Amino acid sequence: MHIDMKKINLLSFCFCFFMIALAQTPAQDQGKRIMLYGAKAHIGNGEIIENSLIVLENGKITSVEDASNVRIDISNAAYFDVIGKHVYPGFILPNTTLGLADIDAVRATRDFDEVGELNPHIRSIIAYNTDSPVLPTIRTNGILVGQITPKGGMISGTSSIVEFDAWNYEDALYKEDDGVHLNWPRKPRLYGDDKHMHDSKDHFSEDLKTLEKFFDNAKSYYLTQKPQLDITYQAMEGVFDGSKQLFIHVSSAKGIKQAVLFAEKKGINKIVLVGAEESWRIADFIAEHEISVVLNRVHRLPSHKNDAVDIAFKTPKILQDAGVLYCLDYEGDMERMGSRNLPFTAGTAVAYGLTKEEALMSITLNTAQILGIDNRLGSLEVGKDATLFVSDGDALDMMTNKISHAFIRGKHLDLSNHQTDLYEKYKKKYDAELESENSAE
Amino acid sequence: MKYLSVLFFCVVSVLQVPAQENFPVNGVALTYNEIHAFINAEIHVNAHTTIQRGILLVKNKEILNVGQAINIPENAIIHNLEGAHVYPSFIDPYSNYGLDNLENSTWNPRPQLESNTSGSYSWNQALKPEFSASEVFVTNSVAATAYREIGFGSVLSFRADGIIRGASALVSLGSGEPQEELIKANASAHYSFSKGSSSQNYPSSFMGSIALLRQSIYDAIWANHNKDYSNLSLVELHKNLKLKPIIELDNHYAIRNAAAIGKEFKMNFIVKGSGDEYLSLSEFKDSKTQFILPLNFPEAYDVSDPYDCLDLSLEKMKHWELAPANASLLASAGVTFAFTAYDLKNKGAFLKHVRKTVEHGLSEEIALNSLTTIPAKMLSIADQYGLLKKGMKANFLIFDKNLFDTESTLLENWVHGIGHTINPIKEHDYRGSYILKIDGTILPFEISGTLEKLKVQITTKDTLKVSFKLENKLINISYKDENEKLIRLSGQGLDPIEGEGQLANGDWVSFVLKKKSAFVEKSSKTKKSNLLIDVNKVQLLNEMGEQWSPNMAYGWKEKPQQKAVLFTNITVWTNEKEGVLQNSSLAIYDGKIIAVGNVSVNAIKNKYAFEIIDGEGKHLTSGIIDEHSHIALRSVNEGSQASSAEVQMADALRPNDINIYRQLAGGVTTSQLLHGSANPIGGQSALIKMRWGASAQEMLFEDAKPFIKFALGENVKQSNWGSYSRVRFPQTRMGVEQVYFDAFTRARAYQKEWNAWFRLSASQKNESKMPHKDLDLECILEILEDQREITCHSYRQSEINMLMQVADSMNFTLNTFTHILEGYKVAEKMKAHGAGASTFSDWWAYKYEVNDAIPHNGSLLNDMGIVTAFNSDDAEMARRLNQEAAKAVKYGNTSEEDAWKFVTLNPAKLLHVDAKVGSLLAGKDADIVLWSNHPMSIYSKAEQTYVDGRLYYSLELDVENRLRNDVERNRLIQKMLGAEDGGKSGRKITKDRSYHFHCND
Repeated sequence: MHIDMKKINLLSFCFCFFMIALAQTPAQDQGKRIMLYGAKAHIGNGEIIENSLIVLENGKITSVEDASNVRIDISNAAYFDVIGKHVYPGFILPNTTLGLADIDAVRATRDFDEVGELNPHIRSIIAYNTDSPVLPTIRTNGILVGQITPKGGMISGTSSIVEFDAWNYEDALYKEDDGVHLNWPRKPRLYGDDKHMHDSKDHFSEDLKTLEKFFDNAKSYYLTQKPQLDITYQAMEGVFDGSKQLFIHVSSAKGIKQAVLFAEKKGINKIVLVGAEESWRIADFIAEHEISVVLNRVHRLPSHKNDAVDIAFKTPKILQDAGVLYCLDYEGDMERMGSRNLPFTAGTAVAYGLTKEEALMSITLNTAQILGIDNRLGSLEVGKDATLFVSDGDALDMMTNKISHAFIRGKHLDLSNHQTDLYEKYKKKYDAELESENSAE
Repeated sequence: MKYLSVLFFCVVSVLQVPAQENFPVNGVALTYNEIHAFINAEIHVNAHTTIQRGILLVKNKEILNVGQAINIPENAIIHNLEGAHVYPSFIDPYSNYGLDNLENSTWNPRPQLESNTSGSYSWNQALKPEFSASEVFVTNSVAATAYREIGFGSVLSFRADGIIRGASALVSLGSGEPQEELIKANASAHYSFSKGSSSQNYPSSFMGSIALLRQSIYDAIWANHNKDYSNLSLVELHKNLKLKPIIELDNHYAIRNAAAIGKEFKMNFIVKGSGDEYLSLSEFKDSKTQFILPLNFPEAYDVSDPYDCLDLSLEKMKHWELAPANASLLASAGVTFAFTAYDLKNKGAFLKHVRKTVEHGLSEEIALNSLTTIPAKMLSIADQYGLLKKGMKANFLIFDKNLFDTESTLLENWVHGIGHTINPIKEHDYRGSYILKIDGTILPFEISGTLEKLKVQITTKDTLKVSFKLENKLINISYKDENEKLIRLSGQGLDPIEGEGQLANGDWVSFVLKKKSAFVEKSSKTKKSNLLIDVNKVQLLNEMGEQWSPNMAYGWKEKPQQKAVLFTNITVWTNEKEGVLQNSSLAIYDGKIIAVGNVSVNAIKNKYAFEIIDGEGKHLTSGIIDEHSHIALRSVNEGSQASSAEVQMADALRPNDINIYRQLAGGVTTSQLLHGSANPIGGQSALIKMRWGASAQEMLFEDAKPFIKFALGENVKQSNWGSYSRVRFPQTRMGVEQVYFDAFTRARAYQKEWNAWFRLSASQKNESKMPHKDLDLECILEILEDQREITCHSYRQSEINMLMQVADSMNFTLNTFTHILEGYKVAEKMKAHGAGASTFSDWWAYKYEVNDAIPHNGSLLNDMGIVTAFNSDDAEMARRLNQEAAKAVKYGNTSEEDAWKFVTLNPAKLLHVDAKVGSLLAGKDADIVLWSNHPMSIYSKAEQTYVDGRLYYSLELDVENRLRNDVERNRLIQKMLGAEDGGKSGRKITKDRSYHFHCND
């Protein structure tokens, strides 16, 4: 193998300079061929290449090979020596409100919950803020694509899948209007002792009736010649013609069963369970019905005092063993700024039974399959989009998740963010102070 | 009928008893006082003494005599009570009889800083010492009847409203005017920790209620000393202090709080319990505290749906099983108590529940005492009430059988010599098979059922329902014949019953009802068998469950003991100058680390019988210390005032928080439980060790330096509290500074005032005005005197600067800035001041003020030489603090050893407990964690967690615990299904309240 080192240094220098000059500016389309040499490649489908060569061209992966057997031609290529490092397919974050809010406590920045109970026509992509300061901090940990999902009501609206590097929402779109989100009605959970029981009114059966009627009407609308456009039912069409998935957000075992039976009864084929905290109780039922699961945050407390302390940590393993297709999300408290921890939740699942590559699949290929984008994303395979990153070490472990390069469709991302900028600013200040202190001594 | 008899007796009593002597009479005065003689009954003089076929003579309100050989005066009205039992009437020491009930206040978003009470009363609406029940008490015949029906003759009546509730009245349950029924005004003084109808913001927390009660008592003493009578509440409270104090608690953990106040003010509280006292029994059994126990046992839950049942906690199930044994468990520990019907929604169930306590092991003797002599003594009326003796009040009960017999019925309840029929004594048993002859036809006629409720029917081809009513001696019979025609009859006599009636067509006819055979009672003893119960398991089901510590999932059957353990071949993270020792060893014994490193261990390894753990591939560290936590508390924020320095988090401990166990599973061994961040000066912190299963008192870290929580920024200025919350000072960071200056300035002045007072002689003190004792300022003064440290919730650099300046100007050091997300901007200033930092690893963007928070903060601060820790402020994250520490490695390139100290040694230093915990050093507490792997790796698990050398968590113990939980749950579900109500009382399953607190809650 012969490489002109001078050329490389010069190239990478140019690159660095370029990055600093245009901090957090969306990256330019891929120009030259990009070659990543020497990293351990985690393909995302369970396989590993210890010493890999990955070539990216025109935004696509054109070669993934064992580097020890190939002759490398680096002419006219951006070459990256990533020996000893790790390459991963970009992590995918399903069911997130990233870009729909910036600061929890500031109402003006919150854009994820519209008024109304049945809102399939509400589209998340409209409010998606590509300039949210939170976004660059997420991709710095390897999360490059997300399913932007509205919240609230019984049907919160329609999600879209975006890339986390864009000038505007149209630019960001990866898959528009991929699914409708239904929050399965919950039996009122009564809290506290009998003396101070809260809201005991049971809306559950009313809500169910409302849903029955809504889905019947929506289907009837779908099947008729449209005399006049009905915006709400029109937004449901995709659920019946198969172009949109129905994501049912439900947590309890009983709720999951009810939701699955409901969808069957209504003749809806493509459903995905979201949340599904108690899926571990009925993993076989879910597997038998061949329904996939977007599992709620692994770093979560058990929902009952009686539950195993680590039940949330080992749910992925239970689903894996049952043969359920599942992926991980990060919904809940501080879900946007916290979602950069998604890879570590997969890491925890390893401590509780998964193999590392299985855990990786739960935030890459599985997610892509569940969201219906696996033809383009989710693994380091030839023909797929060049959306991937390089980490100094194991990206599922906090201590070693250090991303040096990330690409979205071959575009080389600026990995700085508001936080790293502040860090540099103050580090410089203190380094200078410490230096002057030392020299004073 | 019942209703009629009530009316009837009301009328009689008006006739019988002349109104009070000084009352004018409308008509002619009745002057004759008859004598009643009750004969042939078994008279229970008290729980120990009975008189067979005794005689009880009653005249006026009193007992003339009781005994066997007593002359019955000729003019006595004789009551033949053949076979019946006579008992002294019950006394309920806890009721609101004859008083208005006030609704608890509901949440109102509009702040109310002052009291709504008009008049010269307390500043706080929850303090009502001026209330005296005897001033507003009215007799209430409906309520009196309900009490008499369950055996009560007198009750203590108080108003359940507020923290200080005023004085009660002891009243008799007759139907006279209040003047006649009042036995004793101001019989006791009442307290609670619930503010009731008060709509004022303060207090908004449990510990705030306690602080307010304490402060108010000091206020009353102070006002009295200074002869300041301007505040009527304080005047009355001072009078109340001389009365017998009764405090109402909502939870057994609060017994400890009442005891502390009792000790502080030498008040011997009688505790009105909540029915779960058995859970704290070991703590108070020697205290001689007397209790008033409710008998509202939980009903069985509807456990028929296995999924819904998941929401039912083992804690609730276990309490369901043991609650009826509460009294019996207390009694066997020698605790004295009285019973009350207060909490029973259906008062009619009272006697059933008394019997249930007896079925659960309480002796009949103690049960009867708890209804009679004990409450009489509690209320200091034992000379007049509680037993049947010559000269005492004629308050007694007539039961048809022994009162503890499940079939027994209360027949009459005599109050102050006046009889009240509860269940009329049946003079004739009409039950049997009859022939009804009417209008030329003969019909078979059946009377069955119970004496109280007859079931009557005509059994021709069809069975016809018959209405059979007795009115004095006339019997009214009506039914619809086979042609649906209504027949109505009225007759008299016992057997036969004869009379006349009208047919449907209006013809008058005569009829005869002749008894053919007597009624044969069918044996109803065999209960319907419940299909869900396996007969072989019946024995098991009847056994009482064990009491665990705490009595819930993962509770201990036996608490862990201190172990002697030797870890070998293990990587030891010492946190000392030795650093990380590979292939090393460590020994613990008697709660302490006794040797670290192969050399020291070798020296002692034969000294004790160690359990040896081969730690190959594993790591050993000191336990994780969480500087900022809100677990194990029942409330967090007393945010209603700018300063709540008077409140103590230790008062609000909730030792049965499952998060203690969960965090042990994450290697946490010590946690600082902080007040919330709703106000600039919060409350006094509690430092606990994670001693799962211990009492609140036992959880507290021994001899730890006291701390207080301060807070800055958006929370204290109520930025995110909605648009109503714009009233309470401060609303800006400018105001926050002034809160501190004001508090510290006043604390200094306070100190001066008291120092001057202490210099006075006793006589001078008598003549001087005593300074006002202020719990809030006393705590703040401790800060100035270096007896208390501060941990301050902080975000923005400006306010961090400000507080350090305040501290500098007042000559003290701000110990810890907690959260401190912009600490990195003022690191050099913090260093100069000497403040430490306890921050988050990577939180940001949840509020405006954390926009500049960065995950490199901890590393930058650490690099600058500031003692830096990572905290959780979150029950979930707390169990993964080992991984949070790793984020300092990731984001800020901190060394692994330093990063590990962020969650162990550094918080120990910040908390001033590093002499005992925080590193692996011989002599320190054996608070250690065995990790499966590198302690900061995401792939690592805590395999064992020790506190004080006791193994509180291990993977193996956890498996055992889970199994035990499941077996116990199953047993209890089966038992509930087999319960009296089949577990299908429709009692909805309620999920236990979630106590997931953050600062802002």
